[in-house]
Parts: sequence; structure tokens; C-alpha cells
Amino acid sequence: MNYHWNFASVFENWPALLIGVEGTLRLFVVCLLIGMSLGLVVGLGRRSKSKPVKWLSTAFVEFFRNTPVLVQILWFYYALPILTGLEISPFMAAILGISLNSAAYSAEIFRGGIQSIEPGQWEAATAIGMSRLQTLRRIVLPQAIRRVIPALTNRGVEIFKMSTLASVVAYVELLQQGKLIASLNFNPLEVYTVIGAIFLLILYPIVRLTYALERRLARSD
Amino acid sequence: MYEWNFWPVLSESGILWAGFRNTLILTATALSGGLVVGLFLALGRLSHRRWLSLPAGIVIEVFRTTPPLVQLFWFYFGLPIVLAVEMTPFLAAALTFTIQSGAFFAEIFRAGIVSIEKGQWEAARVIGMNHAQMMRRIILPQAVKRMFPSMMERSIELMKTTTLVATVSYADLLFQANELAQKTFRPLEVYTVVALIYFISISAVSFLAARLEKRFARSGEITQ
Repeated sequence: MNYHWNFASVFENWPALLIGVEGTLRLFVVCLLIGMSLGLVVGLGRRSKSKPVKWLSTAFVEFFRNTPVLVQILWFYYALPILTGLEISPFMAAILGISLNSAAYSAEIFRGGIQSIEPGQWEAATAIGMSRLQTLRRIVLPQAIRRVIPALTNRGVEIFKMSTLASVVAYVELLQQGKLIASLNFNPLEVYTVIGAIFLLILYPIVRLTYALERRLARSD
Repeated sequence: MYEWNFWPVLSESGILWAGFRNTLILTATALSGGLVVGLFLALGRLSHRRWLSLPAGIVIEVFRTTPPLVQLFWFYFGLPIVLAVEMTPFLAAALTFTIQSGAFFAEIFRAGIVSIEKGQWEAARVIGMNHAQMMRRIILPQAVKRMFPSMMERSIELMKTTTLVATVSYADLLFQANELAQKTFRPLEVYTVVALIYFISISAVSFLAARLEKRFARSGEITQ
């Protein structure tokens, strides 16, 4: 138990860690944007009156929710290039895997939010002559999205954590840089402690914010 | 156009089944451990004694807000250095996922316990039960029923998270798939088959969970 912690060997490599943070953030932002917007589209698709659209969106959600995201990333990285002949970079594979997976989850969140809006809202909007699309855009979505903000923030935190999986296909992000530093300096204990702490430092404030949002929403509803 | 050929994969499917077995073993181990750890963490966090609630809260928050892959690396590469013990991939994975899922289960337990009406506590106290008796006989049985849907969801998450152990060379389904892909030069077929195996088994579990939930709903109160 007399281990001498030596964090200096980690912090000496701060430029490498910084590059990692940048890679993590880049992946996170792209996946967040694609995941949320595609999620909204698919969520609406699941409520569509057109049978094929409804069926396709349901299949999409079920498939991506019921398979592990790491399998998805590896499929996009190793299998998709064979199928399409396109070259897929680690960044691309990670984006595809994480975004589509989060789209499936956020689709369910959006759908739940839309379903939670009382039918009276739809009826009232129809009565004053709005089309379905107008009702959705002006009346239902603004209310629905407000209600699901805590759930979406949670999803965002999950996406941020999932970004570490990109290290499996050697995309340069925080964990990948950590592996590199650990293998050069033989200090895995300190490196992974620091990496964990960085994630905690970034994500914990967001988690607290989600709690606060949930409480506020519970009070106002 | 690529010509699909599943034959090399199917003829070596024994490799995949061995991996699937290991995935199930790891999931079952982490699930049973996680439920126990989760219950204790939840009771700890709800405790009025600060020396109990504070550490329980810290463990829960740390394991919920850091990526499981970082945790796994910490337990596999880092912990053996402090403790000066050998760490096997299975042990590291079982430890990581037990505590990690325990942290998530703890929040589910806590929400369930808190959701039980005050009157139940008061009534139990009036007839002379002590705290542990109330918890065991009155509160937990009701709470567990309400928690069932979230518990199932979390267990399914756990099964999917176990794929991470492939990165520390535990021979789970995904790790075996990597091996098979290298052996057969058929990554497309291998990863497609593996995705399907996960999809089918996880869908089956979700389906069963939904059936059970319905039965619970009929047999009495349940949230939603």
C-alpha cells in the first residue's frame, strides 16, 4: 500500500491531454447535434400516419437501442468500408455509431414529450385553423421540448461519456491520449485517475444542472 | 458489388457461442453484485448519518458521471499497482461493472424508496416496527415493484456495456468476434452476425420485461 503517487508525470504531458480534450469535444459536439436533430425527425416519424415511415422509424429505434454502441462503431469501422468501398476514418466511424445510437434514444424522448401534451392542445389549434405541421411547430413542440429538456441533458452526458469508445478505433480523444501517456511513462494509475477526474470535472456541473432543471420543471408543472 | 458469404462465420460459430457464454456470465455476475451494492449505496445515501450518506453519495456520483471505459482501465491497469495484486480481465470487469451498475441501481432504489408515501412509514412505526423492519417488510416490497421497469432497463444497459471488456481481452462475444474477423477475413459478416446476436437476445429480454411489467400492473399499483 506504500505506493508513491506521481502525478507530475501526467501533467508534464498536458499538451497531449489538451489535444485529447479537443478531440473529445469535437466528437461530442458533432454527435450531439446529429443525434438530437435526427432523434427529433425519427421521433416524429414514429408518430407519422404513413405506415412505411412509421415502420422504418420504429425499426431504426429498436435496432439501435438493442445493440451495443461499441458493436455499432466497430461495424461502421470494419464492415461498412467493405460494403460501400468507401474509406471510413476512425472519426467517421465514431460519429456514425454514437450519433445513430443517440438518435434512437432521443427519438424516444421526443416521442414521449409529444405524447405527454394533452389532446386538447391539438384540438384547440385545429379549431383555430392551424394545419398539423403548424400545430406541431407552434403549439406542441415548444411545450414538449421544454418538458424533455432534463432527459435530453442526460442524453448529452451519456454522449459525452460514450465518446471514449472512439479510442477503440484509435480516434484521438482523451482516453486514447491517456493510453499513450500511460504506455510511455508506465503510470496507468495516475493517468486514468486524472482522465476520470477530467470527465468528472466537466460532467458533474452538467449533472447538477439537470437535477436543478428537473426540480424546477416539477414545480412549474 | 460485395458478395456476402456467411459460411466461414457459421462454420466457426463455436467461437462466437463461447464468447456469448462469457458475456452472459459477466452480465449475471455484475448484475447480482450490482443489485446488492446498489441497495447498500441507496440505503447509505438515504441515511441520516453523514459519515454514511456522504461516501455513498460520492461513489454514486463518481461512477455515474465518469465513462465506464475509463473506470475499466482504472481497475484493470491502475488498481493492481496500488494493491500489488494480479488483476485478470474478468475480475477487473466484474468489479467495474458491479460498482458502476450498483451506482445506477442505487438511484433507482432511492427513487423507489422515496416514492413510498409517508403514511406507510408512519403506520409501520405506530404498530411498533423499527427502521430495519419497516424497510424490509413494508417499504422495500412496494418500492421494488415500482422500480421494476427501470431495473430491467438498467440490466439491459449493463449487458450492452459488458462489450467494453473486449478492450481488456476478456473473451466476451465482441472479443471473440474480433478474433473471428481476423481469422476469416470476413469482418462484414462477423460483425453483422454479432450485432444480430445482441439484437435478438436483448430484444427477447425487453419483450419478457414488458410482459412482466404488464402482469405487475394488473396485480396492483405500479407507476405509469
